Amino acid sequence: MENKIAIGSVTYALKGRDVLRKNGYRVGIERKPSKNSGGCGYSLKFTGDLQRAKDILDRHGIKYKYGE
Amino acid sequence: MIYLDNAATTGEKPVEVKRAVLFALNNLSANPGRGGHKQSLSASEAVYGVRDKLSLFFGAGGPENVAFTANCTHALNFVIKGILKRGDHTVVSDLEHNAVTRPLKSVTDNISVAKVSFSDDEKTADNFEKAIRDDTKLVICTAASNVTGKILPLKKIGAICRKKGVPFLVDGAQGGGVIPINMKEMYIDYLCLAPHKGFYAPMSTGVLITEKTIAKTVIEGGNGADSLSLVQRPDMPGGFESGTVSLPNIYGIGAGIDYVNRVGRENIYRHELSLANYLYGKLKQLDGVLLYAPKPENGVFAPVLSFNISGMDSEQTADILNRHNIAVRAGFHCSKFAHEKLKTTDSGTVRVSPAVFNKKGEIDYLIEIIKKYEKNR
Repeated sequence: MENKIAIGSVTYALKGRDVLRKNGYRVGIERKPSKNSGGCGYSLKFTGDLQRAKDILDRHGIKYKYGE
Repeated sequence: MIYLDNAATTGEKPVEVKRAVLFALNNLSANPGRGGHKQSLSASEAVYGVRDKLSLFFGAGGPENVAFTANCTHALNFVIKGILKRGDHTVVSDLEHNAVTRPLKSVTDNISVAKVSFSDDEKTADNFEKAIRDDTKLVICTAASNVTGKILPLKKIGAICRKKGVPFLVDGAQGGGVIPINMKEMYIDYLCLAPHKGFYAPMSTGVLITEKTIAKTVIEGGNGADSLSLVQRPDMPGGFESGTVSLPNIYGIGAGIDYVNRVGRENIYRHELSLANYLYGKLKQLDGVLLYAPKPENGVFAPVLSFNISGMDSEQTADILNRHNIAVRAGFHCSKFAHEKLKTTDSGTVRVSPAVFNKKGEIDYLIEIIKKYEKNR
């Protein structure tokens, strides 16, 4: 199943991508949808365990807005 | 032209820096951190890669702690005006550049100045310790003086700041890429840099590095985040990157870091200092030449040397050298503090600052011209 995690800035999105990749995820970056987003930003798009991915991002201090 | 004004900006850029800038113009001309198209994402990747290189070089703790600003002065303004409130007590060295003292003065008059000893780093650190009070909100010092080249004992000062719980800001304009600076090891909370000097990068891009918070930004605008909010969050790095960053410059900085790493920062420093040291030795033999600091020893001075020909204004000397195709900087070098310390507020000084591309023969030619005018003064 494809998951998306939204991140406010491209710098943190790239950092998030790198740490998830180091943890075995296949991750891409895309613009997050405009609807209900609060503004511009990027999404990490990946398959795999969403909660584990959130935990990894938390451990690296990467703030995200939601997981879907 | 024999270019010896590298403390202002490096006059010759490595070929890989020039190639990188051209590559960026040809292939990465998109706005990083804005669009979702491939070219914008490639631009974002390129910028992120340079943040990472800077973070590794300065022990900054991660690429997200690196912001690109218009120049080092802007970076210093962000920290000083973002942290301090009107009237806050601050400690600075007596060798600071106006890039520190002017923004500081605009916020507070409550400033203590710690004297720098040219020969005793313990004494310098002690002066900082004595100047710090219970209500001190920030300590600022230059990594190396842009007038005398004196390297400040950053680790000792940083340790004192950490012990007393006071944030430590370092102006790395002259030291970054030239002398060892590691934020973690030296307890530096905020580091501002001018990569067009120590990294031989293009002008007009500075760097602000911090893991800490800055209470507010002083330049707001679009930064690719929270676009529906009229309030800009002062988060690193985007909170301090309003508007489009200079991607060609940033890519050039990356190539400059690669260049310094390839040649070796220590090797470059040793070469530049040997030229400054050689010049110092020759000038010391001339009765009509005034020197303002001790011999530039390894680890104590950056490759920056100030002198005057007795009885001549510094601008007059620089003009003569210019007519002999030698570029040096005269005057006050945007440093009221340093020239008050050296007691050269009347004459200014002539500053010579060699870089990696300078050769001993060029210094010999400079000495030859100085000798000629020193004799006839």
